[in-house]
Amino acid sequence: MDKSKLGRIILVGAAILMLLTTYLAVIYVPLPQTSVKSADKILSSVEGSRIRVAGFVSDILNLPREFNPAQVIRFSLADFSDYQRYLAAAMVDQLDSQWWTVRPIDVEIYEVPKLMLAGIVDGPQDFIKGTNLSVLARVMDKGIGSNSNVTGFSLETSSWNDVTIGTSPGQFGIMTAPVAQKIFYFHMPSAWVSYLAFFVTLIASALYLKTRKIKYDRWAFCSAELGVLFSTIAITTGPVWAKQEWGVYWRWDDTKLVTTFVLWLVYIGYLMLRASMTDTGTRARVGAVYGILGFVTVPMSLLSSRVAPLLQSSHPQVIASNSGSLSPEAGMTIGIAIIAFTLLFITMLIRRVEIAESEEELEELKRTIGGED
Amino acid sequence: MEESFGALYIAYSIVWLGVFAYLAYMYLRQHSIDKDIRSLKEEVSKHVK
Repeated sequence: MDKSKLGRIILVGAAILMLLTTYLAVIYVPLPQTSVKSADKILSSVEGSRIRVAGFVSDILNLPREFNPAQVIRFSLADFSDYQRYLAAAMVDQLDSQWWTVRPIDVEIYEVPKLMLAGIVDGPQDFIKGTNLSVLARVMDKGIGSNSNVTGFSLETSSWNDVTIGTSPGQFGIMTAPVAQKIFYFHMPSAWVSYLAFFVTLIASALYLKTRKIKYDRWAFCSAELGVLFSTIAITTGPVWAKQEWGVYWRWDDTKLVTTFVLWLVYIGYLMLRASMTDTGTRARVGAVYGILGFVTVPMSLLSSRVAPLLQSSHPQVIASNSGSLSPEAGMTIGIAIIAFTLLFITMLIRRVEIAESEEELEELKRTIGGED
Repeated sequence: MEESFGALYIAYSIVWLGVFAYLAYMYLRQHSIDKDIRSLKEEVSKHVK
């Protein structure tokens, strides 16, 4: 079969799979459940029942200093995107709204609230802004915001010891933004394909240095260009999701985000360096060395979320560790998405290499004509 | 919820636009190269004659 025809067939197949992924992600895969369940569904199911909520006092104006049993009050409950960071900020009195969003919630108080700060549970105290609050309460109004969650509550508890506070909403089976979670089905495959592309660059660069055949340099360059395309997609869709889930677009102290950004910059630098060189041999040689050395940023980015307990990262570890859990529907969808993106990458790479060959043919032709003149 | 759907549309648009923009770039680049090669070859054949 003709090579270009085969390429077109694979491209169409990849496009169909991408459309299928879009359909599955948006329509077929239910909103995150079990481990990741819609906050709205949880809240409507617990309306009227006793729940234990954990949050921190964000607004002392509406909060009485002393509670009476069965008193209905409204207080702000924090959506902790990262409780450890909150605690760290609280300890040095640098609380701001950077790491969480706050939703108002009406509760009927059943017990006098107790306070916890930095993990120490004390008796009732005066409330101050930023004080951690744990209270047995009844949800009076489920309307706490359609895109909100209650982080850190357990149903039907009667002991203060049952209060659990984790490092992220996902730990409690809740996503802050379950709809935005569907960005994952394109965000993760984009990142995966960019790693694959940079791996191809590594192999092709090594082969060039070994054999000095220019075709390997061509493959290395074209693959790096596609890697930059897909890492750009990953690095721009990630913040869109992060804004919904964490409340901020970016975190400069998150290892996963920063190492991925460095990876992106390194390969932008690779393309710029090559563009600045005119001599084919020098460009290929320098590009190959850079392509090999630059690859060190790939495992740094890939594994940074696996070592998250050691290095600060709130980035999901779905694939990078064995702790991730996906529903069968979500697993199938992400599987199809990965196949679609990989096929897309392969066809685009083959096509891009053909264009690079044509570019070289054109340059050669120009040189020939120039030499004759 | 609406805000989340907005984010979803934006993210999916970035993906599709990014991929299609690159495919379009490749198509236009190939078209331009083929055109240049054709005209250069024609020029060469004229000189040869």
